Amino acid sequence: MDTARIRADFPALSCTVHSHPLVFLDSAASSQKPLPVLEAMERVYREYYANVHRGIYAFSEEATLAYENARDRVASFINARGREEIVFTRNTTEAINLVAYTWGRANIRPGDRILLTEMEHHSNIVPWQLLAQEKGAQLVYLPITDDGFLRMDLLDSLLDGQVKLVAVTMMSNVLGTINPVREIVQKAHGAGAVVLVDAAQAVPHMPVDVQDPDCDFLAFSGHKMCGPTGIGVLYGKEALLEAMPPFLGGGDMIRKVEWESATWNRLPWKFEAGTPAFVEGIGLGAAVDYLSGIGMEAIAAHERGLTAYAMERLSVLPGLSVIGPPAHQRGGVVAFTFRGIHPHDIAHMLDMEGIAVRAGHHCAQPLHRRLGLTATVRASFYLYNTAEEVDRLAQTLERVGETLGR
Amino acid sequence: MSTFYSETILDHYAHPRNWGRLPSPDIVADNDDPSCGDQVHLEIALGPDGRVAQVAFEGEGCMISMASASLFTEHLQGKRIADLEGLTEEEVLGWLDAPIPPNRRRCALSPLIALRAGLAAYRRAAGG
Repeated sequence: MDTARIRADFPALSCTVHSHPLVFLDSAASSQKPLPVLEAMERVYREYYANVHRGIYAFSEEATLAYENARDRVASFINARGREEIVFTRNTTEAINLVAYTWGRANIRPGDRILLTEMEHHSNIVPWQLLAQEKGAQLVYLPITDDGFLRMDLLDSLLDGQVKLVAVTMMSNVLGTINPVREIVQKAHGAGAVVLVDAAQAVPHMPVDVQDPDCDFLAFSGHKMCGPTGIGVLYGKEALLEAMPPFLGGGDMIRKVEWESATWNRLPWKFEAGTPAFVEGIGLGAAVDYLSGIGMEAIAAHERGLTAYAMERLSVLPGLSVIGPPAHQRGGVVAFTFRGIHPHDIAHMLDMEGIAVRAGHHCAQPLHRRLGLTATVRASFYLYNTAEEVDRLAQTLERVGETLGR
Repeated sequence: MSTFYSETILDHYAHPRNWGRLPSPDIVADNDDPSCGDQVHLEIALGPDGRVAQVAFEGEGCMISMASASLFTEHLQGKRIADLEGLTEEEVLGWLDAPIPPNRRRCALSPLIALRAGLAAYRRAAGG
């Protein structure tokens, strides 16, 4: 993989921050955007912008074609069976909420259980809390080990027949742990539960095939995978989506509207009320093409190498402790604490040297509490990051320790 | 390395002033920020003239929030309740003697948020 060539595709990476070349290590929150994505979106606005699915004129037909074509490319990117299974949402959060509000309301009953894990992002906890409160259902959490693995030994006993849904992240946004989703899906299906996979950290960084593991729902965001904000994806098995009531009501999601009632459009548009973010959808299509052109295997391998190098460089700093599994069992995120210095102070000092990292609980407060921490610093890597950037992080951290450490 | 933190911040963080609790405070004020774990606990005792006679604080958090709370305890001395109620964000930021970027203002203003909650409770208790 030619990182120098890749970096040239991302205009933001040549920026200077506080008089230093930018080192962007927060792609797990949101990634930078390559030229093909920026150009694809600008082309819509300049050359063929018109609302989709309605107009009987050339611009609208071209925009509709480009939008639906992007959907088809997203479908094949994750090996879905067809466009019916790809619902565009705003982001992962909205995709999970869609399932909670539609499938959840129709299928969860008082006394049912929803099984989550202790490493979930707030977006895969709070929608289920709302649903459980409304339905009188119960949330159960699969615990983690102190080094950040799921307690798979407890899974069988927790899947007790009362569990109707298992919602699990494919990769933790804090620990970096890549979870054994195939085994979880098999066991959950064996126990009669439906499985939703939060793939926000997985789809941008590794090959993902929705048919293996055979998950029922899978959610991810465009903006973490070189695409624009405002576009995300809910994959759902066609039979499940077909049986679900609609989410938002409005234009585009209907077939026929009477004064008192309406019937629904076909999949996937049944779940896409109102004018969709079609320019962003086209941008996501371009992002998928860009990532496919480089190859998800190659991207995953590049990140594995960088993560291993970062763990090696950081772990020798006195007083620095990385949370989560060893390098060969994690994706490209490294969260740590350092010499009792508050993560906000560390992030602030790094920013003064042009290095962008995340500090806080990374939308996983329960996980941080479980680990006995309030906040951590997180560096995360993507296809455009380099070993030299890891060096700059390690060197700068060393000096932060000398200046602020106690 | 160049540090944006002023000498004032570094000094007050390393050597917090008026750390601890008071025997019988008139105003007790707390602010917790679960998003970053900053916690400030402020106690104020008024003198017979109604002015602030003693201030103490305890807390846990980043350098800016802790330095701000320490500075707070010094700057509140001798003030009347009305002065405390009129305290502005800009005054508090000024005490830190460093440009505080927008995303860190919340840290710097944590003791002020605590104080305002404490004053409201004090007013309620005093029946006014």
